[in-house]
Amino acid sequence: MRVLAFLLLLAGMQLAACSSSEQPDRPDGTVTVYSTTDRAVFEPVIKDFERLHPEISLNYVELDARPLYERFVAEAGADRNQADILLSSAMDLQVKLVNDGYAQPHRSSDAALLPSWARWRDEIFGLTFEPVVMVINRDAFAGRTVPKSRLDLAQSIRQDHAFWQGRLGTYDIASSSVGYLLAAQDARLSGEYGTLLEAMGRSRPRIYQNLSTLLNDIESGRIALGYNVLGSYAKRRISAGARLSVVYPEDYTLAVVRAAFIARKAPNSAGAHAFMEYLLSLRGQRTLATQSDLSAAREEIGGPYGRLGISGSATGPLRPIPIGPGLMTYLDRQKRERFLRNWQNAMGGPARQGNDSLHP
Amino acid sequence: MWPMRQSPRMAESPSIRGRLIWHMGLSFAAGMVALYWAASAYATYAADSSYDRLLAGSAASIAETLSITENQISVDIPYAALDMLSAARNDRVFYRVSGPDGHAVTGYGDLPDLQGPSTDDKSQFFDARYRGEVVRFVVLGREVRRGGRTGWVKVQVGQTREARAALAAALTFRALVPILLLTLLAALVVWITVGRAVRPLERIGRELHRRQPSDLSPIDEDQVPAEIAPLIGAMNQFMGRLDGNISLLRMFIANVAHQLRTPLTALMVQLRLAEADASKTTRSSLLAANQSGERLARLLDQLLGDAMVMHRADQPQFASFDLRKAVEQSLQLAAPTVWHSDVRFTSELAEARVAGDEAMVTEAIKNLVHNALTHGDRPEGAIEIHLAREADGFCLSVSDSGPGIPAEIIADPGSRFKPSHSPRGGAGLGLAIVTQVVESHRGRLMLENHAEGGTRATMWLPAR
Repeated sequence: MRVLAFLLLLAGMQLAACSSSEQPDRPDGTVTVYSTTDRAVFEPVIKDFERLHPEISLNYVELDARPLYERFVAEAGADRNQADILLSSAMDLQVKLVNDGYAQPHRSSDAALLPSWARWRDEIFGLTFEPVVMVINRDAFAGRTVPKSRLDLAQSIRQDHAFWQGRLGTYDIASSSVGYLLAAQDARLSGEYGTLLEAMGRSRPRIYQNLSTLLNDIESGRIALGYNVLGSYAKRRISAGARLSVVYPEDYTLAVVRAAFIARKAPNSAGAHAFMEYLLSLRGQRTLATQSDLSAAREEIGGPYGRLGISGSATGPLRPIPIGPGLMTYLDRQKRERFLRNWQNAMGGPARQGNDSLHP
Repeated sequence: MWPMRQSPRMAESPSIRGRLIWHMGLSFAAGMVALYWAASAYATYAADSSYDRLLAGSAASIAETLSITENQISVDIPYAALDMLSAARNDRVFYRVSGPDGHAVTGYGDLPDLQGPSTDDKSQFFDARYRGEVVRFVVLGREVRRGGRTGWVKVQVGQTREARAALAAALTFRALVPILLLTLLAALVVWITVGRAVRPLERIGRELHRRQPSDLSPIDEDQVPAEIAPLIGAMNQFMGRLDGNISLLRMFIANVAHQLRTPLTALMVQLRLAEADASKTTRSSLLAANQSGERLARLLDQLLGDAMVMHRADQPQFASFDLRKAVEQSLQLAAPTVWHSDVRFTSELAEARVAGDEAMVTEAIKNLVHNALTHGDRPEGAIEIHLAREADGFCLSVSDSGPGIPAEIIADPGSRFKPSHSPRGGAGLGLAIVTQVVESHRGRLMLENHAEGGTRATMWLPAR
């Protein structure tokens, strides 16, 4: 008799579980977020959201861009979806996932208020945008002219060959998805990309797989300049007292967008929509801007790193990378291989890396 | 003669306007469906041809970069090749480059293939399902030479149909809205036009409705639409023939009546003379013959009166005259037959002027009085004639104390030659004459039997 009652109870629980997972009318439970953003940076947003929706808890999984992409595709292929929302600054990979039909639409008035470069198909949304800058060690440039643009940098390397030997650092674009995206955009937008690449190669640059290590080395004076660094990280170091300086390239300043979408087969779809709506809302955007030190995509939000602040200090045009199918071009296998080969040839091969002990 | 009491049936009969609108609505609805098909087919074609150009451009720009390096097919997808497709803002984009052996060189390996041969360098378009959506593809061939052999490399670019569908829907909508508005306008125009076109018919109907039963004069053809003029013409002709026949008949009857009167008078004088010398037995026979002769004379008199009234009703000579005088004159004319009776005429009016045909009205009054004398006269009763003003006209009532009038005659006093039940009854023409006169003067005739016996006939004629 007791066994039977227990079985009935079990069956009842099973039924309840089924019905709640099939009809998630009211958002609750756990929302899983795969993200490339450091948890420390995102923590205020998570806290604020959970304060607003106590019935939803966020499972924040921090991953690098390429593993995030591969893990998600593998899970979707095996029909074992775990992620509800994917948030990554590797915009090209995010766009490809959406193009391949892994996303579900999220329609709201807040989403419609995003600038047109920050949304595509009602499915993928740019939440923040971050200027991509050159970071210099102020001590290293004492008494020297700081290069203001890509052409400045190339000319400086040519003229002052001795100074630059081993003192320039940048992403390893073969292993960093964001680094690859930025290099590809440089190749697309800049007429001087070839010149710059050639000059950078001559300086025997240090190649980094991890942004923190790159910034550490600039801070310590091991290298003098970091090229294509996400501005927010540098700003955070400067706020902490590092003797660094940010240069917004005068010819144009790229802005990379953190793009988010809801997985088509999200286990907690309702919760995912609630979180996305929060991220797109003024409150969420303001939290991103003021407490996470990211620049909000919504134009209504100013903040310390908002568009206006950057435009004020940057003399060049700000070029947010638009979310759209064009981004998939550089993901083409042949194109990628050719692009990497050219880059590695120019940089003198992948052998000389700054530090490869941390993230792969 | 004309259907006077048929207006309720006319409401049930189909209206030209309703039928036109109904048929037009049906054909327009069918037309709209056909137009919708045509418009949406054309819109889809238009949307396809404009977006196909984009798709072909994208494929061509990819094909431009095809080269053979180290015996391998090499392609450098231009950024613009995919970016230009974002002109269709929300559409997903797929592409593939495959070698002569059919293997994908780059891009999405599992794209659906074009069914059928494709070995030329012209762009070929087709729709196929891919990743849960219908995708529009273009396939473009480029001939390459590799390892001493030539083969075709195929560039395939595809795009989902969201923007095309949206454009086609917008085009269809914009094409159909004016047509729909035009249809509504046409229906409105038909409604109004048919109303105007039918108005003369309604006028003719009203005119015929108002007519006297004996009025066979032609309908005015001037304001009749050309389409129904033949009908009206035929009708007029028909009525003309009828009128002619009736007049001829009337003339014949009047003639006969007149011709018979003289020998009859002579006959009756002879009878009177014979009566004086006759023995007792033959006297009663002679009396009976005399009475028959009187009735015959009365009938002839009525026939003449009827013919006169009918004739004048065709062309009434309306003039102002004193009704009171007409009554007095009628009494004088009726006097020879009523010399033994008690007839009283009372009126507070010094004069009662009406517009009408005096001869006809006199004839009517004469018949009313005569009827009262013939059917209502009793030794103890008297005939009361009263003339009074009522509403916009004058009321002349003739009351007797006779046995009353049969109900069917009260219901339809205008019918001729109803067999009379009264032993002294006439030919039943008297009330028909009165009715004819009253109607041609737009007056009213009212007959009523009193409960205590006796009949009152009231004739109302409008004042001038």
